Amino acid sequence: MANTDPDTELVRLAQAGDVHAFEALVVKYQRRVARHVARYVRRASDVEDVVQETFIRAYRGLAAFRGDSAFYTWLYRIATNMALNSIKRDPAPVLLGDDAPEERSEPFHPGVSDNDDPERRMMASQIAEAVQRALDRLQPDLAEPLMLFEVEGKSYLEIAQMLSIPVGTVRTRIYRAREFIAKRLEPVLGPQRDRRW
Amino acid sequence: MTIDVSNLLDGQLEAEEAKRALKETTSQPELRDRYTIYGLVGDVLRGNSTPDDGFSVRILQRMRDEKVRIEPGYDPLAG
Repeated sequence: MANTDPDTELVRLAQAGDVHAFEALVVKYQRRVARHVARYVRRASDVEDVVQETFIRAYRGLAAFRGDSAFYTWLYRIATNMALNSIKRDPAPVLLGDDAPEERSEPFHPGVSDNDDPERRMMASQIAEAVQRALDRLQPDLAEPLMLFEVEGKSYLEIAQMLSIPVGTVRTRIYRAREFIAKRLEPVLGPQRDRRW
Repeated sequence: MTIDVSNLLDGQLEAEEAKRALKETTSQPELRDRYTIYGLVGDVLRGNSTPDDGFSVRILQRMRDEKVRIEPGYDPLAG
């Protein structure tokens, strides 16, 4: 694909009035935006408010998005502005400057009022363990393209060139890797399924 | 087809394919579920293992409740 923004088609559909396309973008980026916002804003309830406001502003302003940057870059800029506005209003929980919000490693748990909620921590731990166990059992030729894409941020084309395989094979292998992991993750996610998108 | 869900998530579909895959994904609970789980797998691999637990649902519900619409001329980066 000539366009390097992976969200081009979903954004186009959303701009044309397909609400489901924007919903798909919310589901895709909710955790990444929340994690980004949590670098600036400490209270989980405030983080959730800022993330909600970010997506609402993004949707209202979708017509202004011209594709000059990737959609997620634009979304992050909105989130950053919203987070900075939030900490201006309530400066107590700010971590800026040398305290380096980028360096905060404490995981944020979207949607809870307390990051120390033991049940959620346990759930997060079970999810991480299930994915790791699945990854350990995954064939290397499936694991490698998935890791290159998800962790290293490589494009499908770059992965194809690195591994000397066609782009179509990259697509298939990433799909098969996800499916392998998803099947082993489902039992862990079972109880909360009705609360997902 | 779940492979289309994977391709949709990664922006690997051309316009008409994406439109069709989105329609199928959002209309079939099992495909919707796959879209969410594939996204979660990526987040876990990047170090964020938190479950959704209704976070996205609350965002979308608020958008519906407040009847949020696309507003031509509105710049979300201004002010």
